[in-house]
Amino acid sequence: MKTQITLAALLSFALSAGAAYAGDTLVDQGQVDGRTYHQKMYDKQNCKTCHGVKAPTSYPADDACVKCHKVDKLAAKTERQGDEKLQNPHDNLHYGKDVPCVECHGEHTSKEPLCSDCHTFDYPKFKK
Amino acid sequence: MGRRNFIKGMAAASAAVATPALALSEPAKGIKWDKQVDIAIIGSGFAGLAAAIEAKRLGGNNIEIFEKMAVYGGNSAINGGLFAAPNTPLQAKEGRKDSPDTMVADQLKAGRGIADEKILRHVAEHAMEALQMTLDAGAEYHPYLQQLGGHSVPRTYQTTVSCGGGITQPLLKECKKLGVTLSNRTKFEGFLLDEQGGVEGIKVRRGYYFGKEDGGNLEHIKVGKGVIVATGGFAQNINLRMAQDPTLTSEVGCTNAKGATGEAMLEMFRVGAVPVHMAHIQSGPWASPDEGGFGYVSNYSIYNFPHSIAVDRRTGLRFMDEIADRKTRADAQLERRDEQGNPNPPLMITSYKQSKQHPTAKKVLKYGVGWKFDSVEALAEHFGVPLAPLKQQIEEYNGYVKTGVDKQFGKNMAKAKGKYLEAPFTVVRLWPKVHYCQGGVQINPRAEVLNSMTGKPISKLFAAGEVTGGTHGVSRLGSCSIPECMVMGMTAARTILA
Repeated sequence: MKTQITLAALLSFALSAGAAYAGDTLVDQGQVDGRTYHQKMYDKQNCKTCHGVKAPTSYPADDACVKCHKVDKLAAKTERQGDEKLQNPHDNLHYGKDVPCVECHGEHTSKEPLCSDCHTFDYPKFKK
Repeated sequence: MGRRNFIKGMAAASAAVATPALALSEPAKGIKWDKQVDIAIIGSGFAGLAAAIEAKRLGGNNIEIFEKMAVYGGNSAINGGLFAAPNTPLQAKEGRKDSPDTMVADQLKAGRGIADEKILRHVAEHAMEALQMTLDAGAEYHPYLQQLGGHSVPRTYQTTVSCGGGITQPLLKECKKLGVTLSNRTKFEGFLLDEQGGVEGIKVRRGYYFGKEDGGNLEHIKVGKGVIVATGGFAQNINLRMAQDPTLTSEVGCTNAKGATGEAMLEMFRVGAVPVHMAHIQSGPWASPDEGGFGYVSNYSIYNFPHSIAVDRRTGLRFMDEIADRKTRADAQLERRDEQGNPNPPLMITSYKQSKQHPTAKKVLKYGVGWKFDSVEALAEHFGVPLAPLKQQIEEYNGYVKTGVDKQFGKNMAKAKGKYLEAPFTVVRLWPKVHYCQGGVQINPRAEVLNSMTGKPISKLFAAGEVTGGTHGVSRLGSCSIPECMVMGMTAARTILA
């Protein structure tokens, strides 16, 4: 009986942990929720990297992201072919390469791709 | 409850958008100016972009476009890219006879007697100039004309990407090349008025994020020559559209971009502009309840209406002229109900032979917002349409294709010549979405905003595009917004710099 309960608990924890980490990148970072792919910044409490100041009170500038992530490279990485060509989220039909990153990518909050306001495109690698 | 209220759970209805805080105009006396520009253009759609380019071409300097959203283009960037103009190269090539008079006559008919003939004529006479501006900037169009509902001849160009982005992006690039200052996340918050009530400047909020109305920093900008308000319509302002038409609740779908909330228009009313035709709010009869906003079906339907039929699912029969003007069609569609009175979106049935000619057919099938059937029996079974009446209807309609005369609804069969309804078929569901506000501020053919008390232009205040009212009357014809936006934007620049 003890063994069974222990196993159940272990399984439950394992499933829970698995569910938490399988695709979810938005986790509790202490003072704020934040992305695991920016873990280095949180480890060093380096808000300045994005916000430009140590104790931010507002959104980062739209060009903060592109200091590290180049839009041309991103557009090449998410390139689509044929009649899906203009569904490239980083070089799209309506706005080209001009969408500020934070319109789709939330650092401290979940977001949906801007496209999903009107379209049913599939972006399997998008981190909600 | 109004009939539109029953749409809940069907259309991808927009969530209710909280009404943004109202801006506030005030006297300019004693203001500490943060900046000066010669021409301030509020809004970055067709009208604003065309105004900026034209102003530069006329030797204007110190021109800034202010856009409250993060991205440029407004509704212009997401619309169907359909541009009507008379006496164009494609019309010459196709041997189509047209004229400003003919185009204006079509528009006046749709306007049901209350459209503004002077402005419509002005737009029709200069539409080719606007089209040329887009071509010069690099816009590309399909090599054929379309004939949209209410038009008596084919006169509509469409971008090769079937979207207004095919025009806004070239125009944006042209603006950058010419040295226009472009400012996004900068919301117009009010006029700064001289002692006679004329415009001396504007107040804007830099660092604005849509939905968070009190962020960023206020800035007072002195305007030397003129403010051009080109902020589009108010279809996304639920309270304001319901004030005009209570059936346009938050449950009614909308094709517009989120920022189409109308505050700059209201601010112009505050400083004396005349409200015109505010209750004439148009729904798009080509929209689909199966996808959000404008989506893919809208363009698919616009292309295919001339050679398709729309049928009521309960009867299997047609119920309208499929290329009548938008209001006629939208109203007819809204009447399609099931036995309980709930919305029952009609079906548009097209020969695949015809629908596959336009790139959107592939898209609507791929994304599950359209269906393909190898027989009328399969179609009828899938949608629960009575088979015998449907077969009879298709047979009768093919008779109209042959004779060129639609005895049921008087549809102009010229565009359907030789295009018989035959298997395989493609089908989409239709349900209107709020699309365009014919109402707005009164202007004259020089794009000057008129004061309600004096009937004279308000000094240094101009407006162009969907934010203006009266031009189209009750019903705007499809593809007539781009020429109006661009011509009136260009006109505002010409008036200012004359």
